[in-house]
Amino acid sequence: MKYLLIFIVFCVCVFVGYVFSSKYNRRKKFFAALISFADKLSLEINFSRERLRVLIENFDETNKKHLLGLDEKFVNYLDKKCELSNEEMFSKIDILKKEEKDIILLFFRTLGRSDVENQTKEIQNFVKRFLEIKNECDVECKKYGTLSLKLGIVAGLFFAVILF
Amino acid sequence: MLEKILPDKFFKIINEKVNLKAVNEIRLRANKPVVINNNGKLLFLAETGLCGDLNKALFASKIIIEDVIFRASECSIYSVNEQIKKGFIITDDGIRLGLGGNVVEENGKVKTITNFSSCNIRIPHVVKNCSLNAFAYICKQSSVENTLVISPPGAGKTTFLRDFVYQLSIRNLPYNVLLLDERGELDYGINSNYTDKIAFSSKSEGFENGIRSLAPDIIVTDEIGQQNDIDAIEYATSCGVKLLASTHADSMETFMAKKLFRPLIEQKIFKRYVLLSKRNGPGTFEGIYDENFCRIYK
Repeated sequence: MKYLLIFIVFCVCVFVGYVFSSKYNRRKKFFAALISFADKLSLEINFSRERLRVLIENFDETNKKHLLGLDEKFVNYLDKKCELSNEEMFSKIDILKKEEKDIILLFFRTLGRSDVENQTKEIQNFVKRFLEIKNECDVECKKYGTLSLKLGIVAGLFFAVILF
Repeated sequence: MLEKILPDKFFKIINEKVNLKAVNEIRLRANKPVVINNNGKLLFLAETGLCGDLNKALFASKIIIEDVIFRASECSIYSVNEQIKKGFIITDDGIRLGLGGNVVEENGKVKTITNFSSCNIRIPHVVKNCSLNAFAYICKQSSVENTLVISPPGAGKTTFLRDFVYQLSIRNLPYNVLLLDERGELDYGINSNYTDKIAFSSKSEGFENGIRSLAPDIIVTDEIGQQNDIDAIEYATSCGVKLLASTHADSMETFMAKKLFRPLIEQKIFKRYVLLSKRNGPGTFEGIYDENFCRIYK
């Protein structure tokens, strides 16, 4: 019974460490996907000039899954006549900071609202900003991601020793 | 489509309290009342429907206008910028939005329009048989006469042209008709087996490419108004293609005074002139004239 308890406590600690570390990883992947998404939009708007809905729906599946459903929420918003809101776009998304949400919301709000040249410039400006955030995320992930996992393991071992 | 582009409040009133069939235009101007052209009469949109009382009128805002234009472009303004440069957007349903705002020019050419301040939503109508009075004068058994439809703006030129093509199609007359449609609104409601369409092309390019590649018997085009259009018409008639076109003028006298049309009048290129007005509502027949401007109908 005692060994089982030690094992459970150890697993819980490692799991908590993993959850914290995966948050950094998800943030990194999210911004990488967002940059790829914005780049694709910029390219397609320049060349095919296809409608937003079609461009977003055709965005590749691999990156799509890291966008946390923002693309789908935006497509849904296109069908409605309401303003794009923070609550609607980021409900159930907990890995983003408030200022990041504001920038992303602004990015989506500008989509489809100007001519090709201005739209492309706007998207490229957002891409620059997203790149900065992604670089910060990379650093965070390296710094705190592995640290969280290691701390989880160390904490697990610590409790295991105490319980033993 | 109107449901998709208009604010819910405006659409609900128009849908429930206004006869949409009688609505020709909905004009939105920033911080001004919404004006509806209802069968030629200008009325304000109010909570209760249409009225002449400014105090009851609903007002449009700049944000509403920008949103209407955004929705009309299917949320992709960049995809319709070539149309915006010409001052309008056409929706898939043939609704034309005329745009007012700040024109951005570069090297003498219009680059785009920004800061939209007004928008004129023109609702296309199919008025079945509206060209029937003129049909017998234009369409002979073996051929179609070159015809110019003359009217002031909003008096039913495009509707007349559409119905004429429709009349040709239901009679199964074996003419290949080319709709040369600079603004993409001519083919609304036409379901003809003999009709091709070149949309959003200038008349000069459209005439040349269309004649070369589609070999039409008749070219139908809207709003002749520039020297290039006149050159294109001369080119088409020299190729033996028949023409059905339209232009703006409020009377035959005004039309004849236009220098631009003098060569066409002198060469008697058009054999028929159909004059329309808004006197008894859009599409009122004022007369049909021959190449010598003798009235042959009405």
